[in-house]
Amino acid sequence: MVTSEVIIDEEQCQGCGYCVKFCPRGCILITGDKFSPQGYLLPSFVKPDECNTCGFCAMLCPRAAIEVYLNFGSEVPA
Amino acid sequence: MSERMFIEGNVAIAWGATMAGCQAFFGYPITPQNEITEWFAREFPRMGRVFVQTQSELGSINMLYGAAATGVRAMTSSSSPGWSLMQETVSDLMNAELPCVIVDVQRGGPGGGPIRHAQQDYFQCTRGGGHGDYRNIVLTPASSQECCDLTQLAFHLADKYRNPVLVMSDAIVGRLRETVEVAAIDFGPVPAKDWAVAGKARHGDGKRRVVDHCGDLFARYPSYQALLQSLDKRIKRMQEAEVRYEDYQTEDAKTILVAYGYTARVSKEAVNTARAEGIKAGLIRLITAWPFPYEVIGQKARQGSKFLVVEDSLGQLLEDVRVAVPSSADVGLVSILDRHMPSDGGMILPDKVLAKIKEMQ
Amino acid sequence: MSEKTEVATRERVTGRPRLLIKQKAGFVYCPGCHHPLVARAVAEVLEELKVDDKAIGVFDIGCNSFLVGLLDIDGVLTPHGRPPDMATAVKHIYPDNVVFTIQGDGGLLSIGADPLMGALSRAEKITLIMLNNAVYGTTGGQMAPTSLAGQITTTTPEGRDVSKTGFPIHAAEMIATFKGTAYSARGAVNNPYNYERTREYLKAAFQKQMSNVGLSFVEVICDCPSNWHLSPADSLKWIEEKMIPEFPLGEFKNVDKIE
Repeated sequence: MVTSEVIIDEEQCQGCGYCVKFCPRGCILITGDKFSPQGYLLPSFVKPDECNTCGFCAMLCPRAAIEVYLNFGSEVPA
Repeated sequence: MSERMFIEGNVAIAWGATMAGCQAFFGYPITPQNEITEWFAREFPRMGRVFVQTQSELGSINMLYGAAATGVRAMTSSSSPGWSLMQETVSDLMNAELPCVIVDVQRGGPGGGPIRHAQQDYFQCTRGGGHGDYRNIVLTPASSQECCDLTQLAFHLADKYRNPVLVMSDAIVGRLRETVEVAAIDFGPVPAKDWAVAGKARHGDGKRRVVDHCGDLFARYPSYQALLQSLDKRIKRMQEAEVRYEDYQTEDAKTILVAYGYTARVSKEAVNTARAEGIKAGLIRLITAWPFPYEVIGQKARQGSKFLVVEDSLGQLLEDVRVAVPSSADVGLVSILDRHMPSDGGMILPDKVLAKIKEMQ
Repeated sequence: MSEKTEVATRERVTGRPRLLIKQKAGFVYCPGCHHPLVARAVAEVLEELKVDDKAIGVFDIGCNSFLVGLLDIDGVLTPHGRPPDMATAVKHIYPDNVVFTIQGDGGLLSIGADPLMGALSRAEKITLIMLNNAVYGTTGGQMAPTSLAGQITTTTPEGRDVSKTGFPIHAAEMIATFKGTAYSARGAVNNPYNYERTREYLKAAFQKQMSNVGLSFVEVICDCPSNWHLSPADSLKWIEEKMIPEFPLGEFKNVDKIE
């Protein structure tokens, strides 16, 4: 089972929307119901199943507020 | 090393810097100090030290900032119009607390016409020609030997206070050839400079260092007030500890001359002649134009002496003497208007000074 | 046959570069500003080239001055326009270090013209980086040397009139004409493709310095949403539709040896 994790640091985020714009699969959206402590509209990682960890969201974030992880199982000798 | 040389003041400054361990010199051509730049261009590469001919005096002072940020001893030299260009960065050097030495071989002004000697940068050097509250120690050599020795002192004081130090010479002192004993003066060990920028690999703790000229903005100081308080303390420390002057026959003098640089030598001659004629004259020769010897002048004034300022300007040093003397009626002036001829080669000569001394009796 | 077992693995795909400092307080950049994004690219390249211990950044006054707080390397902040001078001095004193400057278009091409010409004329082996957003950002959006014809700024409220104020300067092309220039390129960070290309340009620029070839220069088209009075998304469109046609991307000089 492989799952993607996109973690957005809500204290760092300034709501610029680049992650939303550059995600090729529309996995991140500014849903309009979350605000950062500074009052910026926060994005949410709404479609984790569509994410292929391309990393564009993290790459283009001016605050480097996004970390992308891949969770999977790997076989090792017992 | 100790060597006896017959050299002009400009070259003596270069030797002094070398004796002090100056590692980098940046300069731009300007009369009357090209001998300094050309000396470094010839000698420093041979010694494995850095010489760069810059694109302008702005380049010179800003490269000096860069070199000073790395902690090495570094120097630049210019003359009055070039020194004018450097003022913004001198102000920045003060905020950044960077030690360095700047030489101004004064020439005439205002404007670019007169290329020969004058003493008109006094305010600019002692008051700080740049913006903001700051002061630099200003050393005023009057001979080739002093050019060599005071330049070494300049590097020592710059490191002692983490401040730029000025060596304010003039075209006569700069181009006059005299015998100089060129030797390194021992001021003790150079202070460690843990704050200097050199790449993280060179720092013992591997942490980065930052040099900036906005200490309040970049949190080097907790507030603007804190920065100003630190500057104020430093200025006061320098004022208390670094006043230097030569006291020549002032013990019983009723007329005391105040001068620096070439006019101080002219004044000494006038004092000697006056004494031979029975006039009790003396001379206070500035070795630091800043900090200024207000105290000794004030003391002599209270003992009843009158003062004669001899300076090759319309009256700048005059104002400092007036601050120290209670009654301005007791302060006379031999100024640039008393030169012996009208071209820019005119000089203040002993006969004019002697005439003024006699007038004041 | 040996037994195998499945172990859960969490792999970090990408995220904040190690050299990019995470500022909790005092982060000054406007939402969507490309300045910190360029800092990110520089951080990634310095890490990749393994020169973070040798890097010394020289930063100008302007919005780029705050980058000194974002990059975990030795830094020097200088008076406006002067970084090439300081960088020259530092490089002469420490030739083994990687010395680079970051300035804005106003800082490098206007008040910085004197230091720039000096560095080019002496072919100093330093790396100059210019962030081109066609305005003076920190001071509120005045006309800059790279402002476009017709661009509305606070000092050209009717739009830049080229008959009165001249034409935008193309720094990358100009710097490429100097013999001492080993590398000159222009990039942008307005989409992932351009970001990757710009990162490659920065890497090539640093490598020219490390190989002692000559002066290297990278211009990066950046946005300024606040002074362009556009949202971050619209700023990216402005870059694509207006800036890049005026300032084409690519390498303008790339040589391995200068005789």
